[in-house]
Amino acid sequence: MTHAALEPAEHGNTAEELLGRIGQLTRQLREGLRELGLDKQVAKAAQAIPDARDRLGYIASMTERAAHRALNAIDLAQPLQEDLASNAKGLSRRWDEWFANPVELDHARQLVMDTRGYLQDVPQKAGAINTQLIEILMAQDFQDLTGQVIKKMMEVVNDVETQLLQVLIDNSHLDKHAEKRHEAEASSLQNGPQVVPGNPEAVTGQAQVDDLLESLGF
Amino acid sequence: MIDKSIKILVVDDFPTMRRIVRNLLKELEFLNVDEAEDGAAGIEKLRGGNFGFVVSDWNMPNMDGLTMLQTIRADPELAKLPVLMVTAEAKKENIIAAAQAGANGYVVKPFTAATLEEKITKIFEKLQKEAA
Repeated sequence: MTHAALEPAEHGNTAEELLGRIGQLTRQLREGLRELGLDKQVAKAAQAIPDARDRLGYIASMTERAAHRALNAIDLAQPLQEDLASNAKGLSRRWDEWFANPVELDHARQLVMDTRGYLQDVPQKAGAINTQLIEILMAQDFQDLTGQVIKKMMEVVNDVETQLLQVLIDNSHLDKHAEKRHEAEASSLQNGPQVVPGNPEAVTGQAQVDDLLESLGF
Repeated sequence: MIDKSIKILVVDDFPTMRRIVRNLLKELEFLNVDEAEDGAAGIEKLRGGNFGFVVSDWNMPNMDGLTMLQTIRADPELAKLPVLMVTAEAKKENIIAAAQAGANGYVVKPFTAATLEEKITKIFEKLQKEAA
């Protein structure tokens, strides 16, 4: 690009002349971009955006789902936990009273029965709490799935960065390496989780995996 | 009856997923569990490690799960070791490739505790039937 076009006009500043000047500048800018290979780099960087958006959407929904699963499990487990504690407290207080004044036999019989009932109740309630703990455990699977997607995102960001850097380093050549890497990725067996539902080449759940394997005789 | 004292190797590059699988196995009363962070480390532990079962991820650095499975099947000492793939790879070509390479089962992430139990039980039942 020359600087001539940027110098102030020495002669009359008519609207016609200004328009002409702007047109000339626009042409120069467009040619400059093309000469630098920038138009293609920008197009390529733009192509990465919808993919990155899908991946971010997947991460957002997976983390939200995991948070809800954990919170729901806690909501279910807490009342059970509180029941166990308050019932034990109540029985303990009644036993304390009886030990302080161990006379009323009928009262003691009821206390023994209630204690027995409580002891029978504990394993069942503890089991129900454990079910919720497993649910919280399983909810953590989001870290693996989103982690894989985040790693892919970092590759995309890295690619965009490489392409933009390439513009600065080499004004006239495209980054052939990045192009090749994209082609290799397309046919890989290591794609990580499916971030957009509805890919006809992928299964949507365990039932489809089982059906496919069965249809193949495995 | 499944022998619960069997030694199991869990191979996954994500520590959280290894902990999840290990905890689920504990819930199923499998307590003899070891871990490896990729296929290469997995093979190293398997050789001479007296393992009876492998639960493996697919997408891992150094050596992926499919390559590890192929390496296991090609090794006379390990060839008969049952391998359950537990992976986020959901493409049909992945599932077919794993089955052809000799995987005993395929669980797609995210999975449930019930699915894992069902697949493990199925694999052991099939092996017992074959051995009988």
